[in-house]
Amino acid sequence: MHCVRKVTEDLYWVGANDHRLALFENIHPIPRGVSYNAYVLLDEKTVLFDTADWSVCRQFLENVDAVLSGRPLDYLVINHVEPDHAASIAEILLRHPETVVISNEKAFMLMRQFGFSIDSRYEEVKEGDIKSFGKHTVTFVAAPMVHWPEAMVTFDTTNGVLFSADAFGTFGAIDGKLFNDEVNFDRNWIDEARRYYTNIVGKYGPHVQYLLKKAAGIDIKIICPLHGLVWRNNLGYFIDKYMKWSTYEPEEKGVLLVYASMYGNTESAASLLATKLVEKGMTNVSMYDVSNTDISYLISETFRLSHIVFASVTYNLGIYPKMHNYLMDMKALNIQNRTAAILENGSWACTAGSLIRKFLDEELKGITVLDDTVTLNSAMTTAQEPSMDDMVASIIDSMK
Amino acid sequence: MYFKTTDEQEMLRTKVRDFAEKEVKPIAFLLDKENRFPDEIVKKMGKLNLMGLPYPKEYGGAGLDVVSYAIAVEELSRVDGGTGVILSAHVSLGSWPIFAYGTEEQKQKYLVPLAQGKKLGAFGLTEPEAGSDAGGTETTAVLDGDHYILNGNKIFITNADKADIYVVFAVTAPDTGTHGISAFIIEKGMEGFTFGDHYDKMGIRSSSTAELIFNDVKVPKENLLGKEGEGFKIAMSTLDGGRIGIASQALGIAQGAYENALEYSKERIQFGKPICQQQGISFKLADMATMLRASRLLVYSAAELKENHEPYGMESAMAKQYASDSCLTIVNDALQIFGGTGYLKGMEVERAYRDAKICTIYEGTNEIQRVVIASHITDKVSNDHTPAVGKKHGPITGNRKKMILNEGSAKERTDALVAALKNDGFDFTVGIALDTPIVQAERVVSAGKGIGEKKNMKLIENLAVQAGAAIGSSRPVAETLQYVPLDRYVGMSGQKFKGNLYIACGISGAGQHLKGIKDAATIVAINKDPHAPIFKNCDYGIVGDLMEILPLLTKALDNGKAKKPAPPMVKMKRPTPKKEIPQNLYVCNGCGYEYNPAIGDPENDIRPGTSFEKLPDEWICPECGEDKTGFIKA
Repeated sequence: MHCVRKVTEDLYWVGANDHRLALFENIHPIPRGVSYNAYVLLDEKTVLFDTADWSVCRQFLENVDAVLSGRPLDYLVINHVEPDHAASIAEILLRHPETVVISNEKAFMLMRQFGFSIDSRYEEVKEGDIKSFGKHTVTFVAAPMVHWPEAMVTFDTTNGVLFSADAFGTFGAIDGKLFNDEVNFDRNWIDEARRYYTNIVGKYGPHVQYLLKKAAGIDIKIICPLHGLVWRNNLGYFIDKYMKWSTYEPEEKGVLLVYASMYGNTESAASLLATKLVEKGMTNVSMYDVSNTDISYLISETFRLSHIVFASVTYNLGIYPKMHNYLMDMKALNIQNRTAAILENGSWACTAGSLIRKFLDEELKGITVLDDTVTLNSAMTTAQEPSMDDMVASIIDSMK
Repeated sequence: MYFKTTDEQEMLRTKVRDFAEKEVKPIAFLLDKENRFPDEIVKKMGKLNLMGLPYPKEYGGAGLDVVSYAIAVEELSRVDGGTGVILSAHVSLGSWPIFAYGTEEQKQKYLVPLAQGKKLGAFGLTEPEAGSDAGGTETTAVLDGDHYILNGNKIFITNADKADIYVVFAVTAPDTGTHGISAFIIEKGMEGFTFGDHYDKMGIRSSSTAELIFNDVKVPKENLLGKEGEGFKIAMSTLDGGRIGIASQALGIAQGAYENALEYSKERIQFGKPICQQQGISFKLADMATMLRASRLLVYSAAELKENHEPYGMESAMAKQYASDSCLTIVNDALQIFGGTGYLKGMEVERAYRDAKICTIYEGTNEIQRVVIASHITDKVSNDHTPAVGKKHGPITGNRKKMILNEGSAKERTDALVAALKNDGFDFTVGIALDTPIVQAERVVSAGKGIGEKKNMKLIENLAVQAGAAIGSSRPVAETLQYVPLDRYVGMSGQKFKGNLYIACGISGAGQHLKGIKDAATIVAINKDPHAPIFKNCDYGIVGDLMEILPLLTKALDNGKAKKPAPPMVKMKRPTPKKEIPQNLYVCNGCGYEYNPAIGDPENDIRPGTSFEKLPDEWICPECGEDKTGFIKA
């Protein structure tokens, strides 16, 4: 049975939800599932914007057929070739021998590499090209490295709809809801939207900025992303988040406390540190165990908050591996412009603190590491309390 | 080939020697003793046509050759090394870059009065973090409309503050190493261009040497010398020629010392005969004469190459290095020949001994001369070696609050200062002795030259008592004015202050002073010049007259009771400086690869310090092959 929704006049959502996939890109947990969005435009010509993952292909095909209701499919516009959106291209082309694929040179190269057979049924477009489907005229805008090199967005100049590819997407199946105003986004969705952006696109801040600058010149009314909700009002809210994330500005003054603890002693010290911070008035403290928190959540929180405390044990004369992994992911995602403090623990040769400091200084950009470090020898005692108080004072001071 | 100077050159030598013997020699001892610049002598040198010797007559010069110029420096140095370097720095460093790289307008405006001797020239390259490695230059020039805005400071500048025209080097394209340096012509008197303290040097004390300080100096665009980014090239080619001057100076100092020693050795009789007839001394004299001849031939031949527009960079480096190394040997032996007599102040060999040492140091240390020579004789690759880009430095004293209290009356400002200090945790009911050693003091009230007359030191003392502080000073206040003992001046060369509160009164903030207070927890600056560098290095500042501010501040700190003895010092914390994000990064549209000029692309022979713009057009992304046009600025 098909399941579609009307987006606006002539435009229909024909995507599908996936609740069975455990790991997005086989790495990021998606307990709330994910939606693969595709859209059909019914004009003098019929146009399908992108396809869906193979896992939901049957539902997707039924949806497309339902909207077309017997009309031929004239064009398939591919904005992004990543297989979660492009895997069903071949199936569409098989069922619709009349369809011509519209995309750019790099996209066609990638389709051939992935084996999405399009033969000679394609029309190549580039930045700024215009295509009319009757009433609706669209412009193609390159969005390189958001987050793949071939990515583009398509803007319908007739009704102000932006097909934004992976930009403005979010994790989470939409399950009947389609529009941002049908949910309480700021309460129930922003965290997953952040986790999606920061882990998938986070590294490419300058490219997102480049796209946002180009988009600033056009009058966008509706944003149709490839995952998650369609935005038809309050666009400024989401664009503001994108501005912050892509310039690596923290959203909030607050402390992210990530700890690595083998027997609970470092955890106990981290709890005391959190308590002292709250007692000094800094209540925006979030604390996570690096060993049992998926790193995608840590990255997301790192983008949200201004300060990070690394509380780590020493392991094999080095940084605790899971903490090290977090640091490397921070580097990979280009996280910058944060203030950090370090609490280290070691029972016979404590190296974690200086190694973390060195990593932050040398491998990341614009991370200010506070001078005050707390060093524990196995477990916190009152002897270390003054140094922890100093660290708390430094953190609070650095927020002024 | 006939290794002999021409009659004209020897006539010039006679003229300069005559002048030096008559005018300079009688006062050389005094100039040295008093650290005095010979203004009158420099004026006369202008009248004698010495100040523009090698420049064409149409630009106000004498139209003579480079050898003649070398002879002039040699002859002046023979009598006084300091006077020699005044000429050398003026001709080779201050004037030559304008002659070689200036536009016709710049030459008319600046070279002509320089060559005529109506104006004095100087050259500003060296900085605290950029000695032999000019890539560490931190002085910046930012284009703003029709002007460049210069900020930074230059140290060890010969002829400062006497010179009228300065060729100064500043960074116009940050993070690109020596490629980002440009040259500017700066005039004395430009707003924001001031001088630090006169250095108290070991030798060449008749020459003036000071620090140049640039505080938002507006330099007209037309004073850019050459093109943007050509500064390093201009500096290096200038120094190629400058070395001939320093080599001549070393030659002259050695010649003078040798002649004095020779004469003395003929008069001094021991064991029944003149010491020059005793082998120990005669061999010394023979070696000295040989080294002098070798030096002279090296110097003149480098000058001759330059005159004939042949490559001379290596030869001038050889001349400078050999002549100055030999000079040290010669002055040492000359003094030895004089024995105890030579060890006395007032003896020319004693002065020559001190004057000589600088010749192996400035305008490229002799180690750098060997680098230059080696680069010419080994692989050419080493010639275009681009030095690694140094780390950027902020203010010398680190990250400071820089809160300048400029709201309200003087009283309101001093009250606001006291309130802020108390808020920071300072307890002004306690205090330390005024004569607590600086290194142990928790607080110091320090006087600079701005304090004026000695009686005003009472204001400093009163303030120190109420601030619970010891008394310190800048270097000139202790050394030149002698208001406080020498062990109370604060600075890199003096005492270092590591306590909590430093109140700098009338101290402009020369680099060496600031280095001495960089560990202070809190720095307060009081100065009437809002452009004084101390304000960029302070936590709290009040712009105003010391005579007005100090009594008000003293009163505001006075709780009406004697200060209780201070408890042991607890060092206050300072905020960690914010880590800067690297600039001028470019990212690839094909893969996200990031090009960082500070790293370059070593696998593809792109050296660190190469800006993205300077990458060759055929350069492609090392990761995905996207060409240069497929990059955007991060």
